[in-house]
Amino acid sequence: MQGFMKTLFGDKHTLGVAGVSIIAAAVVLHTPASVLAGILLPCLLLCGAAYLAKH
Amino acid sequence: MMGALIATFLTATVEWVEAYTIVLAVALSIGWRRALGAAGAALLFLAVLTSIGSFVLPLIHNLTILQFVVGVFLILFGVRWLGKAVARGAGLKKLHDEDAEFAGLQARADIHETRAAWWIAFNGMLLEGLEVWLIVVALGVQTHHTLAAGGAAIAALIVVCAAGALARRPLSKVPENTIKFTVGSGILSFGTFWMLQALGYDWPLGDASLVALFAFYVLGGLGLIRLYTPKALKAEIR
Repeated sequence: MQGFMKTLFGDKHTLGVAGVSIIAAAVVLHTPASVLAGILLPCLLLCGAAYLAKH
Repeated sequence: MMGALIATFLTATVEWVEAYTIVLAVALSIGWRRALGAAGAALLFLAVLTSIGSFVLPLIHNLTILQFVVGVFLILFGVRWLGKAVARGAGLKKLHDEDAEFAGLQARADIHETRAAWWIAFNGMLLEGLEVWLIVVALGVQTHHTLAAGGAAIAALIVVCAAGALARRPLSKVPENTIKFTVGSGILSFGTFWMLQALGYDWPLGDASLVALFAFYVLGGLGLIRLYTPKALKAEIR
């Protein structure tokens, strides 16, 4: 079961990276700078991949 | 749609190669009939899961919610694969070695017990196949081509089985990390695209933004590999 969950959702680091990135993009989308969300989400996810590579 | 099918085929190829190593190790211990029986049972379970997934997800009639759910899973999957591929590409982690995996499996004491070995093959096939299932359902439902995505996964299975039957040893020559890097970037592009669309973002280039996202993740990933590669290794490569 643990393998099943980890395969579907990844570990806590992966969940953290995805969660923070999506929440940040959602917040920016509700500000006057909403157009920047299209740049922010990919940048955050790339930073997340960089973090996951080290952890 | 073509991009989704290529991503499915490549994802499935990587996973089936790993599953083949497990089934091969079990087959050499308890025989091909039992090992293939276990693999077949896992594939049947995955087929049932795919049918359930393809039936349940379209029941979400709200496109925004569907895009959000699919986007979350693709982001989780894509960012994990890209991170792993960067770590392996930069030498921070060892490259996945099918020969070493095979040797490790053969060294296990329980692989010589019929029931335990059967479960090793079943579990291995199921866990590797789960990622294939995830991609087939997520990309298939979102692009309305679940059957084609399933077909791409089955085509990959046939290719790996044929290669395995010819090689009769672990398929260690498959450039797994390169495929993971490319597929991770592709899946992350789809996930980013659909997630922001679900949140109400209007992509300025429309569907063409997917190409720009893919280029961004590939170039960014290559930059990270360069950044993380230790200086000593860089000098060795030169």
